[in-house]
Amino acid sequence: MDDKKLKSSPGQKSSRRSFLKGAAALTAAGSAGLLTGGCGGSVSAETMGLQWEEFFKKNYRLMTPEEKQATVDRLERLARIRHDLDIEVSNREPRENVLYGYAFNISRCKGYMDCVEACVRENNLDRRSKTQYIRLFEMDPGQLDPTSGEGRYFHEVPAANKFYMGVQCFHCENAPCIKACPTKATWREPDGIVVVDYDWCIGCRYCLAACPYWGRRFNWGEPEVPLDEINRRQHYLGNRMRMKGVMEKCTFCIQRSREGRLPACAEACPTGSRVFGNLLDPDSEIRFVLKNKKVFRFKEDLGTDPKFWYFMD
Amino acid sequence: MAGQGSVLERIDAVDEPFAKPEIESVRQLTATTVVAMETYQGGEFRVLARKEFIKRFRCSVCHTEKPMAARDGALFTHGDIRINHGRAGDALVCAECHHEKERDFLADSQGLKVDFDHSYQLCGKCHFRQKRDWIGGAHGKRETYWAGERVVQNCTGCHNPHSPAFPRKMPETYSLPLDD
Repeated sequence: MDDKKLKSSPGQKSSRRSFLKGAAALTAAGSAGLLTGGCGGSVSAETMGLQWEEFFKKNYRLMTPEEKQATVDRLERLARIRHDLDIEVSNREPRENVLYGYAFNISRCKGYMDCVEACVRENNLDRRSKTQYIRLFEMDPGQLDPTSGEGRYFHEVPAANKFYMGVQCFHCENAPCIKACPTKATWREPDGIVVVDYDWCIGCRYCLAACPYWGRRFNWGEPEVPLDEINRRQHYLGNRMRMKGVMEKCTFCIQRSREGRLPACAEACPTGSRVFGNLLDPDSEIRFVLKNKKVFRFKEDLGTDPKFWYFMD
Repeated sequence: MAGQGSVLERIDAVDEPFAKPEIESVRQLTATTVVAMETYQGGEFRVLARKEFIKRFRCSVCHTEKPMAARDGALFTHGDIRINHGRAGDALVCAECHHEKERDFLADSQGLKVDFDHSYQLCGKCHFRQKRDWIGGAHGKRETYWAGERVVQNCTGCHNPHSPAFPRKMPETYSLPLDD
C-alpha cells in the first residue's frame, strides 16, 4: 500500500533491523521528553523526579491511602513549580450512607444559564473550546427530547410559550460509559458519582460514544484557563487541571459535594430549579421531590438507572 | 463497592435518617438565620433572616403616631417600589401585606402579625402549594450545604415581594447542540 511512498524517499532502505533501531531511539527520546517536560534542560531535578513518579503511578482505585496522599502532594508541588500556583488537591473519600441524587425542575427553570457559567468556573473547564458540562435548551411545549431544543437563544428569557431543560452527566448506577472503558479509567464511586482518572484515560472516547445522554467531554487540545480564574480548591477525581487527550465530565462537583456543599450549579441557580441531596436520607429534599412531585428520568427505558430526575410543579 | 441493586431499591432499603453531624467540613453559615416556625420531614430547620437586608428597617422610626397619606408615601419615600403582585389590573395594596398599625410587622387579612424574618407565613396564605413544596424542599433553595443543619432561603430571598415574578434577562452564555 505504501510502496510508492517508501520508494519515493531515496536512500532510505527500510529493514526490520533499522526499524527496531529507530524505534528504540524514539523511545529514548520519548522518556527524555517525559523527564524534561519537553523543554530542554532547564528543568530542576525535583521536577524531573515528580514527573517521573507521576507518570508511573497506579490507577487511583489501586492506590493505598498513602499513595493517594503522595500523588496529591506531588500535583500541588508541580502546580507550584510550573505555574507558581497554590492549589489544594483533595482526595476526600466517599462518605458512608451517602448516594448523591439530583432533580431538575423543568417548570421553574427560566433559562438564565447561571448554572452553566458557574460550572465552567468551578470546574476549570477549557475556555478556548468552550467546554461545558451542563447544556441548557429552549424547548417547545410537549417536547421532552433535548435534541429538539435550541441552546443558542440570544434573546431575553424566559421566552413566551417555551420551557428550559438542562442536561449533564446523570451519574447512572448502570452506566454504559463505565462498561465501554477499556482501561478502567472511569468508574462509579460508592457515593454514586461517576468519575474519571484523568491519568489513566487513554482518550479512546469509547465512553463518549457509549453515553446516551451526551454527558462526556473530550479535551481535543490542552485546556486553557486564565491563571487568575483557576479554582484552586480541587479534587483528584474532580476539577484538577486536565490534560490534552483525556475525557472529563460532570462530577456533581465532587470537590464540593464531598465536603457537604451543594454543587456549583445548584448553588448558582437563581430560581431554585436544582435540587441536590442524599438519596439515602429519607429527610432530604431530593427524597421529598421523588415522593411528592411528578418525576421522570430521561431515557429510562435504556435501563441505565440514572440518578438525575426531572420534575414539574 | 456500591451498586447493590437499582437506585430505587437502594433508596427503599433505607429508613434511618442520615446521621447529619458527622460531616465535619460543614461550618455554620456567617449569615444570620432564624429557626423556622414550621417543621419539615426532618424536624426543625432554619431560614435566612431578612430584616438586616431591609434598608430602612425599622419602619417605626418614621412611621410614628403622626398620620401619613398613603399616596405621599408611594410618591416620595417609597417611590422606588413598583407593585406588580396580584392579578393584572387588580394589584395588591400595601396594607394587604403590611400591618396597618405596627409598621415593623407584616399582617395577613385576619390581622395576624407576621415577622419580616418569617414572611413565608404570610406568603403561604395565598401560595399554600408553594409553601408546602418549600417546606419539603421542592421549591426554594437550600443555602450552601446539602448536609448539616438545613438552612433555606426565605421567600423574599429570591422573590422581590413587591414584584415576585422573576425578571426577564439575557442568558449568561449559550449551549452548543448535543450532537456537536
